[in-house]
Amino acid sequence: MKHRGRGVACGWYGIARTAAMDRAAVWVELDDGGTVKIATGVTEIGEGVLTGLCQIAAQEMGVRPEDIVLGDNDTARVPEAAHAGATRMTYMIGNAVALGCREAFGRFRTAMGAYWGVSAESVRAFAGQVWAEGSASKRMSMEHAVHVLKKERGIVIVGSGLFTSAHTALNPENGEATPWQSYVFGAQVAEVEVDDDTGEVQVLGVWAAHDVGRVVNPQQVEGQIEGSVVMAVGHALMEEYVQHNGTTTTPGFAKYILPTALDIPHVTSVLLTEPDPKTPLGVKGIGEPAITPTAAAIINAIYDAVGVRMTRLPATPERVMEALVDRRSAKQPDEVPVAEAIS
Amino acid sequence: MSDTLLDGGTLAEGCHPTTEINATVNGRKVQRRVPNHYRVIDFVREELKLTGNKEGCGAGECGTCSMFVDGKLIKSCLAPVQKINGCSVETIDDLDRDAGMSLLQQAFHKCGASQCGYCIPGMVMAATSTLRRNPGASRDEIKEGLGGNICRCTGYQKILDAVELARDIQSGAVPASALEEDAEAHSFIGQRTRRLDAPAKVTGAIKYAADMFMPNMLHMQVVRSPHPHARIVRIDAETARAIPGVECILTCDDVPGVDNFGVFIEDQPTLARGVVRYVGEAVVAVAAETLDIARAAVAAIHVEYEKLPSLFDPHTAMHDGAVQLHGFAQNNICKHTRIRKGDVDAALASADVIVEQTYDTQSVEHAYLEPEAGLAYVEADGCVTVQSPSQNITHHRHMLARILGRPINKVRMIMSTVGGGFGGKEDMIYQGMLALAAIKTRRPVRYVFTREESIKVSAKRHPFNIRYTMGLKRDGRIVATKMVMVADGGAYALSTPGVMNKSAILGPGPYDIANVWVDSIGVYTNNTPSGAFRAFGAFQSEFATECHLDLCAQRLGMDPVALRRINLMRDGATTHTRQQLDRVLAVECLEAAIKAAGWDAGVPYRQGQGKPQRNDFNYEGSRQSYLIGGQTQPLVPRASSKSDVHPVKISIN
Repeated sequence: MKHRGRGVACGWYGIARTAAMDRAAVWVELDDGGTVKIATGVTEIGEGVLTGLCQIAAQEMGVRPEDIVLGDNDTARVPEAAHAGATRMTYMIGNAVALGCREAFGRFRTAMGAYWGVSAESVRAFAGQVWAEGSASKRMSMEHAVHVLKKERGIVIVGSGLFTSAHTALNPENGEATPWQSYVFGAQVAEVEVDDDTGEVQVLGVWAAHDVGRVVNPQQVEGQIEGSVVMAVGHALMEEYVQHNGTTTTPGFAKYILPTALDIPHVTSVLLTEPDPKTPLGVKGIGEPAITPTAAAIINAIYDAVGVRMTRLPATPERVMEALVDRRSAKQPDEVPVAEAIS
Repeated sequence: MSDTLLDGGTLAEGCHPTTEINATVNGRKVQRRVPNHYRVIDFVREELKLTGNKEGCGAGECGTCSMFVDGKLIKSCLAPVQKINGCSVETIDDLDRDAGMSLLQQAFHKCGASQCGYCIPGMVMAATSTLRRNPGASRDEIKEGLGGNICRCTGYQKILDAVELARDIQSGAVPASALEEDAEAHSFIGQRTRRLDAPAKVTGAIKYAADMFMPNMLHMQVVRSPHPHARIVRIDAETARAIPGVECILTCDDVPGVDNFGVFIEDQPTLARGVVRYVGEAVVAVAAETLDIARAAVAAIHVEYEKLPSLFDPHTAMHDGAVQLHGFAQNNICKHTRIRKGDVDAALASADVIVEQTYDTQSVEHAYLEPEAGLAYVEADGCVTVQSPSQNITHHRHMLARILGRPINKVRMIMSTVGGGFGGKEDMIYQGMLALAAIKTRRPVRYVFTREESIKVSAKRHPFNIRYTMGLKRDGRIVATKMVMVADGGAYALSTPGVMNKSAILGPGPYDIANVWVDSIGVYTNNTPSGAFRAFGAFQSEFATECHLDLCAQRLGMDPVALRRINLMRDGATTHTRQQLDRVLAVECLEAAIKAAGWDAGVPYRQGQGKPQRNDFNYEGSRQSYLIGGQTQPLVPRASSKSDVHPVKISIN
């Protein structure tokens, strides 16, 4: 017979390198055609960081995302921005891009202000158009502005940005430290259906809420949450790398079972978008935080459905059945709540 | 000579019986003579250099190699090349010759249905097949149609949305304008800007390391240890060396620089040095003219081992008197992280209830769809360059310079497109051998792992054993948390020290707890090394905490949400490492999640406790359950259920 249940779990995660200072650097150049070159050692591992960085740079430089050329991971060509991990890409490199672009755009404003004879502060740019606030005639394309500054003034606009997140190492005796500057919190609810004749568990829905900071691209944040949830469904119910005396017995995808399109729940992403006050851009990250609550929410939902508490991952049908059989054979009454037992 | 080598099949002719294949591939007639043992994927990728379709597993399980033969979708890694003689083959490379991108590919682009992109060519082919078969396929039929394709990044949801969008545009139910970019707003930050790299990913145009060819390129294969722990007595490579086409054979003796490296602890050699510590450890590397010759050479190398006692259980490995796997690690302890706050024993004595339980998490494979691959070459200026899907080129470059004994500006790392990483591509496990072979032969060298090799050799998620003790007041307030965690780090440290730190710091969860005791111990064994994996130890320790809180709620007869609400950190909270936080949105996240889910408060497993069943099922955002064969059972939704639920966005100002 099939039973449904729901479970909840919370999670938290520190953003960027743990208990060690973290740094990322970029170079920026306002280039011909009103385009922008950015060089930084970023690694796109699928999360969409290259697009996100182009959105950030476009916003800061007053051009469009497609006007950005981003030179990425080549140690001979770009400044160090370190590794793709620790949920640090948008946070570290996004902030570094913003800082580098702000420096370049500050120079651009000063130069354009001098050219137009207006204050630097009144110079604005968006989506490839440059204008002086409060003037109807002082307006031109970014392409033309770059041309004018190079040709008539001999100015090439460049900038650099370095973002540092200051963390301290753990005290080896008691762990005292500031391991991260910024944290991401989250909570998820999972709904499951458990077949108590087979032990099979289906995850039907996951509702995931995370405080991701200022969002650069909601589609990609959802992508990270949906991918995390499905990976955690695998961890919770089917995936296990098994070794027997050091030799694996799960050497290929026929034995190492992964979730497919038929195993996935519907995922509802809820984004809390309060900007992080500690950084110039206000962004945080979501690559890892989104996977921390899911498996527990699923396991808690299994208990809610059929009253067995799985304490070993993964909760395969065989293990769920074994737990159900144990519970039935022990004929234990369901646990008496302690609050009642004490009184 | 280089032209001959570029044409992968030509050199192999000398070694293997060949077949002549006549086929139409993407509308063009091709005629080639290839080795008899070629599969369709070899023909397309190695012979025709059409690299849009990928090889993810070589066993028909992952679907990345899906292509059409006479209009029928096949897994091209399972089909012998002879099967396409006289047939018409369609690959992703040229799926829509007129428009650049087919309607489905455009829909993938619009919906954000590509992340690392490695599975996407196969997904597009399977989706194309599904809609060709039934242009009106339901979401469940689409899921079934994609059931033979694995994606590790996207969670499938956006892929399914994309196929539905393409279906609806094709039928006219949705206008084609739905594919256009969202209107330009006042800001580019916060927009659903479509991925700039997606067109290259949905068409298969983007190159991963295994898709790269260079003139005069050699192929690498590696002899790996069959034993978990053994001394290397003798390596006999003379027969292999004599095979025509074998260009170089490397052992640890060929490493010119300081041969130990690692992310946190420098305990790894490039190739095993005197002793092997896990099954699959690299012992000898071969570079040869063709893959077949390199494989023949590996088979001809004889390594004599003297088996040593092995450790497979971290608890046993910590015992006094256990075999020492590394000289510097006493009791095989790689890292022990301690968190101590308050007085846990006194607090436990004051608790109304103490709940104890042990949790075990398993070893997990990253299963990125792109197996490890790399290409190394020496540039004209003498700089050795390695292109690989590395998650940390900066650190790899530093480590390589030391191993190779070269100035750092003569070592260059270029990240090739990464087909999924999740932490598994932070470790340097083959780049050193590639660089050495390139320097030694003065030729480009490429190495592509098989799926089996990737699974056997690369790091896994640390399995944890977690002994949990929590003391609470009757009202649900947590007074003390004690966690003792032992993790199997495997044969080399890789990221174990960092994983132990993160599991310890974050382990007790986002809760305000005055008294905390955490021991997180990573131990060396002779298992496959454990390393970095998405959420890096926090996945394991927070799993235990969140299960344990439900166990406590059960014992207290409380709603698990209510228990969490009482204990969650709030603005100004002090963490377990005594860091003062200012803004904390933990409660807001919990409230947002239960609101979205329509959570019905109450104790869990109400049915079993004779209480009225919960009434929050079939809420918006849950799907119907499947019956056998992927069909859903009929179900009347209680709340409105849309197939395309956009995220709820909450702004707090």
